[in-house]
Amino acid sequence: MEEKEVIISLRNVSKYFQGKKIIDNISLDIYRSETFVIMGCSGSGKSTLLRLMTGVIEPDEGSVIIKGKNITGISVEELDDVRRSFGMLFQYSALLDSLTVEENVSLPLREHTKLAEDIIRIIVKMKLSLVGLRGYESYYPSQISGGMRKRVGLARAIALDPAIVFYDEPTSGLDPVVGGVIDKLIKDLSSKLLITSVVVTHDMQSVFNIADRVAMVHKGQVVIVGDVATIKNTKNPYVQQFINGKPHGPIDFFKEDIGIKEFLEL
Amino acid sequence: MKVSNLKKSDCTICSIEGEINLNTSPDLRKAFEEFSRQNIKKIIIDFEQVPYIDSSGLATLIELFQRMKKIDGKLRICSVPEKVKNVFEVTKLHKLFEIYDDQESALEGF
Repeated sequence: MEEKEVIISLRNVSKYFQGKKIIDNISLDIYRSETFVIMGCSGSGKSTLLRLMTGVIEPDEGSVIIKGKNITGISVEELDDVRRSFGMLFQYSALLDSLTVEENVSLPLREHTKLAEDIIRIIVKMKLSLVGLRGYESYYPSQISGGMRKRVGLARAIALDPAIVFYDEPTSGLDPVVGGVIDKLIKDLSSKLLITSVVVTHDMQSVFNIADRVAMVHKGQVVIVGDVATIKNTKNPYVQQFINGKPHGPIDFFKEDIGIKEFLEL
Repeated sequence: MKVSNLKKSDCTICSIEGEINLNTSPDLRKAFEEFSRQNIKKIIIDFEQVPYIDSSGLATLIELFQRMKKIDGKLRICSVPEKVKNVFEVTKLHKLFEIYDDQESALEGF
């Protein structure tokens, strides 16, 4: 059997905020060109995990290895170099409202390359065509829908032909049909351009649509890693509660809350 | 990346060797600009020795295609490795370019 190439590796990673362990000794391998979904409740640590993988924050313990390079403790210049092989689609697209669609998508090309303007313009057209937005170059973000803004964000994320694209809640705030369009684009980019996709979401429909493998994070730990069938069929009560959206179960929001007396410091 | 040109009657065969990426595509663009300066109207680009092409390389090729169209010239592409062919297909550029299996078939009726 063909050996899978590990492109992102987390080794015994822990992270603390204000003395509280947010990520608790996580080890994880993500393979080239797979779509890897990280799911979990709000506050589970999944977004922190994404920030660790992208080098936005550093682990307090353990290491993050991207394409064979340990990015923990490296210089800003070295990190910039590694980041050039990333694309990132932010939760709210993070487009610049004062720039047109074309200008937004061309930003990374202008910033990181010395390509001629004519070449940049052609690349932008190619990327917009890939996300189904041919002809929208001169529109401003305020003139297009939320789903279209997400697609512009995706076109920008892939402008530099990244090996890895990180998606932070790519379908949040979108209706199911538009969410399905975004899911299909993520899947297509992975299968056709062999891009590795790391998706943080709690949209279960999206998880089942796109994931090759899924990790569920709870209280900073990985509860399970497996393909969609494994996730659906597991008897793990945390996973079952999460994927079925049950308010009661081992994930107990109220039990963790501090009492009113402590809250009011009485 | 290396570019070498070979004249065959009124046609220029341009063989590229090496990856076409953000670092090398500006050099390829310069080589293509030379074709315009020399008013070459028939070009075959041989991709046999190209293991990888990125978006900047594709854009450079599209720009050449646009220039050739303007001067009523002809552009053919040949010997494209499978991995590079996939990139052409994903970006639908295989519908834009005339792609041939090898130099001989590209030269036929050109």
